[in-house]
Amino acid sequence: MAQRGFGTTAIACILALYLPIVILVIYAFNASGSLSKWGGFSFTWFAAAWHNQEILEASSRSLQVAVVAATLATTMATLTALATTRTAAYRGLTFKFALINLPLIVPEIVTAVALLIVFARIKVWTGYTGMGYLVAAHTAFCIPFAYLPLRARLEGMDLSLETAAADLYANPWKTFRHVTLPLLWPGIIAGFTLAFVTSLDDVVITEFVKSGGQETLPTYMLGQMRRFVTPEVNAAATGFLALSVLAVTASYFISRKRK
Amino acid sequence: MKKLKAFLAGLALCASAGAAAADGELAIYNWGNYTSPELIKKFEETYKVKVAVTDYDSNDTALAKVRAGGHGFDIVVPSANYVPIWIKEGLLLEARPDQMENFKNVDPRWVNVPWDPGRHYSVPWQWGVTGAVVDTAVYKGDINTTSIWLDPPPELVGKIDVTPEMNDVMYASIRYMGGEWCTTDKALLKKVRDKLKEAKPKWLAMDYEIVAKFAKKDYAAALYWNGAAYRAREQNPTVRFGYPKEGFPYFMDSVVILKDAKNIENAKLFMNFIMTPENAGLISNFATYANGIVGSEQFMKPGLKDAPELSVPAEFQAAGGWIETCPPEVNEIYSKIWKDLLK
Repeated sequence: MAQRGFGTTAIACILALYLPIVILVIYAFNASGSLSKWGGFSFTWFAAAWHNQEILEASSRSLQVAVVAATLATTMATLTALATTRTAAYRGLTFKFALINLPLIVPEIVTAVALLIVFARIKVWTGYTGMGYLVAAHTAFCIPFAYLPLRARLEGMDLSLETAAADLYANPWKTFRHVTLPLLWPGIIAGFTLAFVTSLDDVVITEFVKSGGQETLPTYMLGQMRRFVTPEVNAAATGFLALSVLAVTASYFISRKRK
Repeated sequence: MKKLKAFLAGLALCASAGAAAADGELAIYNWGNYTSPELIKKFEETYKVKVAVTDYDSNDTALAKVRAGGHGFDIVVPSANYVPIWIKEGLLLEARPDQMENFKNVDPRWVNVPWDPGRHYSVPWQWGVTGAVVDTAVYKGDINTTSIWLDPPPELVGKIDVTPEMNDVMYASIRYMGGEWCTTDKALLKKVRDKLKEAKPKWLAMDYEIVAKFAKKDYAAALYWNGAAYRAREQNPTVRFGYPKEGFPYFMDSVVILKDAKNIENAKLFMNFIMTPENAGLISNFATYANGIVGSEQFMKPGLKDAPELSVPAEFQAAGGWIETCPPEVNEIYSKIWKDLLK
């Protein structure tokens, strides 16, 4: 029952989405210093990126922020998802949904400028300029990404198991620990992965919130753009792409095993 | 939760270990891909100071962040036309680099600049010009003219890239039509707008990054920065840089110290440090622009030392000028023409 033209449209979409990425990866292996002229196959730029202290520091910072922010965001999102699904509908519930998903709707630059102003005040008052601001900002915009798969999972779960546990005198904590949590696990993994990748990706908010010496890999790459870009950036991007693909694949297999 | 705590503790440990390794600190906020790592390493080793370099992508981002406060930076490297804004808003420390030991090395041409007369605030980092980049394999005529991209010869039509920088484009166009920068002459500005709109269909692009495109021969001409022209010539030997006789803009990024810097003494050390020819040479070797320190050429890498792109020939020097900050109402007119052009 395939619709006519569906295949062609799908192929066009896939090409538009993935062709740039494929080209980016191919040119990471370019022997010459050009982004568009092929000079033979080599690992030169991977070696260069690996020995570039700035890239290494920025990458490790990106990963640290992503791990911490995704963990915090997933924890909060799990609690929020439980609170908003294991309840009878009440006035204000829809408003809460909207509030939680606000970061998805508000343009990033608006959040970025607002955070810049607020954090700058706090930085002046407290004198603290550490990584806390970046972590807080990333956590905030990661929450909806973690929340959505969790809520979908909770809504799709059979309530009778939880009711049965309660019938058998399990207290709410025991019910959660032994029934809800194991069933929810794939949702948690999916939420964490999404939050992690979103944090890893972020440019605009990070650019405005970062203090001195807090370059992440995306803001480092942004800085390169105006001058001259070498395949070194492609190599670093390919490394991160591989990491993201690995994270998503791993989460897929974990969630499939748990089903 | 335990694991998370351990991870956070690890993070804190890493952060404090990094800070404890040096006697002092210095936070530099500079354009991306613009700070020579070799220079930073040498400074760190000489003065036992730990340097953190952070990037920005535009003058406006840098200004917005520093204006908001609490940024934690000591040094910024704004462009010439932005320096007066920084001074006027009281963001800068009057560091008096002109009284520093190594100031004698600064090229006299760059001491009395209109945006910081006598250099009470700033030290040259790198400078360049925006001019005509031409592949002479495609076009053999005179390249020292703005007509390369405003009245292009038939060989170049459809192969031109114009930098998406309003000030550079407006400056070159106004001078080409016989006006002066910051002019409000309506008749002349109308001619400028018409000329730009007439020329635009003959361009291929208005993009950053020309080096790869000249290498591939996608572009045959461009209005662009001289340092990029030098790198384009490295990959395509027939590329040349022309200094438009009708008038071309200089640009210069300068090192300044912020008023609310935490490490003022280290920042001053850095200012003095980059005014020695040897260290200025390192700056140029990395980003391939001239630096404004006399005698630094002998410390530049071969090829860059006597690159024709990096020194303005005597006969064209008078045609160069600064993109000064125009009054807001003038700026508004220029922005309007620019927006009209981009449509």
